[in-house]
Amino acid sequence: MDTALNIKDITKKYKDFTLGGIDIEIPMGFSSALIGANGAGKTTLIDIICGVTANDAGTMEYFGKYTDNDRSELRNMIGYCSSANYFPMDWNLKKVAEVMDVAFDNFDRKKFSELCDKFKLGDPSGKKQKKLMKMSDGNRMRTYLAAVLARDTSLLVLDEPASSLDPLARDLLCDMFRDYLAEKDGERTVIFSTHNIADMEFVTDHAIFMAGGKVIEKGFVEDLKEKYILVHGDASVSEKAVPYLLSSTSNKTSFEGIALAEDAEKLAALDTAIEQPTLQQLSIGILRKAEQDYEEK
Amino acid sequence: MKIYQNSNEPIYKQIASQLREQILTGKLKSGDPLPSIRMLAQDLKISVITTMKAYEELSAEGLVTASKGKGYYVNAKDEKMIAEQHMCQLEEHLTNAIYSARIAGLDYNEVCETLRALWDIED
Repeated sequence: MDTALNIKDITKKYKDFTLGGIDIEIPMGFSSALIGANGAGKTTLIDIICGVTANDAGTMEYFGKYTDNDRSELRNMIGYCSSANYFPMDWNLKKVAEVMDVAFDNFDRKKFSELCDKFKLGDPSGKKQKKLMKMSDGNRMRTYLAAVLARDTSLLVLDEPASSLDPLARDLLCDMFRDYLAEKDGERTVIFSTHNIADMEFVTDHAIFMAGGKVIEKGFVEDLKEKYILVHGDASVSEKAVPYLLSSTSNKTSFEGIALAEDAEKLAALDTAIEQPTLQQLSIGILRKAEQDYEEK
Repeated sequence: MKIYQNSNEPIYKQIASQLREQILTGKLKSGDPLPSIRMLAQDLKISVITTMKAYEELSAEGLVTASKGKGYYVNAKDEKMIAEQHMCQLEEHLTNAIYSARIAGLDYNEVCETLRALWDIED
């Protein structure tokens, strides 16, 4: 399997936060999710990948041949969309189309119009134009997404693209990710961050879990779902089960948690209910473990 | 193709078993290409890695072959292998039958009688 992005030992120090020793290989042709709580370092990492923020140490290799010094080539190959305001607020769809057309070699105005139509934003060449500042958060994000998806890129890097979208728009976004990947079978890659993975479950191939500026787990989703199990049980066996659980919550009736699949037999012997976790359940289990580990320190 | 998104059976297994049936019944023929993993993911509204895992399972069973950069193709019909696949299924069903027979307290001869009766009905 080819690697779209090879990140080695990337470090960035801030006064009150350190993104430390990040090693990740992003597989080419797939969609990778950065999953973590607020403040885990997802945005910092995305900004470093896109060259918006400079890293203090470490190296990055893009598509097997470029480094972070080849920004002029990478600029046209990477479609970046931040969660912060990406365009000035007094722009409208028409202005966005004009500027994107000048700024990038691969911006397709026709495709931008089609995407605006799909997102029900209006016509970028129409007479009546609404300024971004007059739009809802969701429509603003739709505008950013239409602008970035109208470019013929090899890598999409999106910071929290779903968080301000309503359920139907999230579903549409997932379709667009799959369209993007299928259009150039195996040659395109998506990286996106989210703190609510449930809506993106069926568009996530590879997951990277972050907490406290570090990567705490990573892998292909189908592999992770086989590595871990979801365990439910009656409160009476909670004490016996806990040593096998990586993280758990309990009350006077029952408990739940995640464990390694290799401990399934021992847990089953305690008359617990064992299931394959969804990505959402897995995320909660892994992030809770990070939080519990942190509190113990 | 039809999949349950909230079933206990993993989605990749549901895809693999439906494609397997199409290959074994000859609906998909030797040399036929499978849809690309990303096209199928797009159509079924699921992750690419899930369709890939389904194809890898069929590939491990020898039903399809991955051709580098060109996707997956249905293998030439290997009668022996298909017979083996059916034999596996037969054994699985009979094992279930034995299990049910034990619960119901039936002995070997009674099970054989039931099998004979069912066989005659099918004929």
